[in-house]
Amino acid sequence: MSDYHLNRVLYERAREHKMAESIGPDEVAGYDLTPEERQALADGDLDALFRLGANPYLIRRVFRRRFAV
Amino acid sequence: MTATPDAAPEQRARFLAGLAEMRRRLLAARPDLVIMFVNDHVQNFFYDNLPAYCIGVGPTHWAPKGAATFLKIPQRQVPGAAAWGKALLAEGLEAGFDLAVSHDLEFWDDVSVPAHFLMPEGTLPILPVLTNCVAPPLPTPKRSWTLGGFVKRFIDTRPGDERVALIATGGISHWIGVPNTGHINPDWDRWVLGTIADGRGEELAMLTWEQIERDGGNGGQEIRNWISVLGAMPGVKGEVLAYEPVREWLTGCGAVWLQV
Repeated sequence: MSDYHLNRVLYERAREHKMAESIGPDEVAGYDLTPEERQALADGDLDALFRLGANPYLIRRVFRRRFAV
Repeated sequence: MTATPDAAPEQRARFLAGLAEMRRRLLAARPDLVIMFVNDHVQNFFYDNLPAYCIGVGPTHWAPKGAATFLKIPQRQVPGAAAWGKALLAEGLEAGFDLAVSHDLEFWDDVSVPAHFLMPEGTLPILPVLTNCVAPPLPTPKRSWTLGGFVKRFIDTRPGDERVALIATGGISHWIGVPNTGHINPDWDRWVLGTIADGRGEELAMLTWEQIERDGGNGGQEIRNWISVLGAMPGVKGEVLAYEPVREWLTGCGAVWLQV
């Protein structure tokens, strides 16, 4: 269940109220992620993250500045 | 609401007037404690341990803690209702509700923002009942209705004569963190409020996850909290004190009073 680890990346940032525009490969070195998940994080591709199973509340929390409202 | 204090000033004024009226009524009702039906926003519970329903039995709760900066309201601890919470947990399990328990909860907007406006003194004990509304699969609305009915029976059979208020937070329609974030469906919100005003809350309990997701968005799933309160007072007609679909707050915001 890889999206568990994708969500863990976001959860750990959300818990600390850390916002991001994108999350690069160096920041997720220790996580069990698929190449597609790593790419979506690196690109800050919110639609792709959603499609890959990232929890939308966590997407919102971490990438808040990327939303128009 | 609090994070963007300058947004939508007219809607803000109207909605806060509704909350002020709710606060006036709450104080007039002289509750000894408040049972709050709320949902976690993936801050206390993550996918490694994610309860469908959880009772907060701690002596205090953070509301808010680290989220204070973002929410722009003061960090504070509010009193819990530990003895009541432990009794609700034990009797709930006995009655067949497989409730989880937490002794240490940190709230974000779920409790912090309504408490900021309705209970600014921070003296009224809060017993939180958390429902998973944010990480599907979710418990059914019907189950939340049934849980609310149990909570009512629990309150009625307590040995003391404490006065108890029930508060539900969350919802109504909003799409959050999803590709169409910011969408609001006022028609659905007004239908939800209409069913409550008519005392037909059981219709909401019949909704499916798919129906709510389609009409109320992923954030609309939070009406499970409302449904639990409605299940505690079936047939009671609600009075809508305010409704504003506020784009800047991403949400259809409703305030409804039910008196028993």
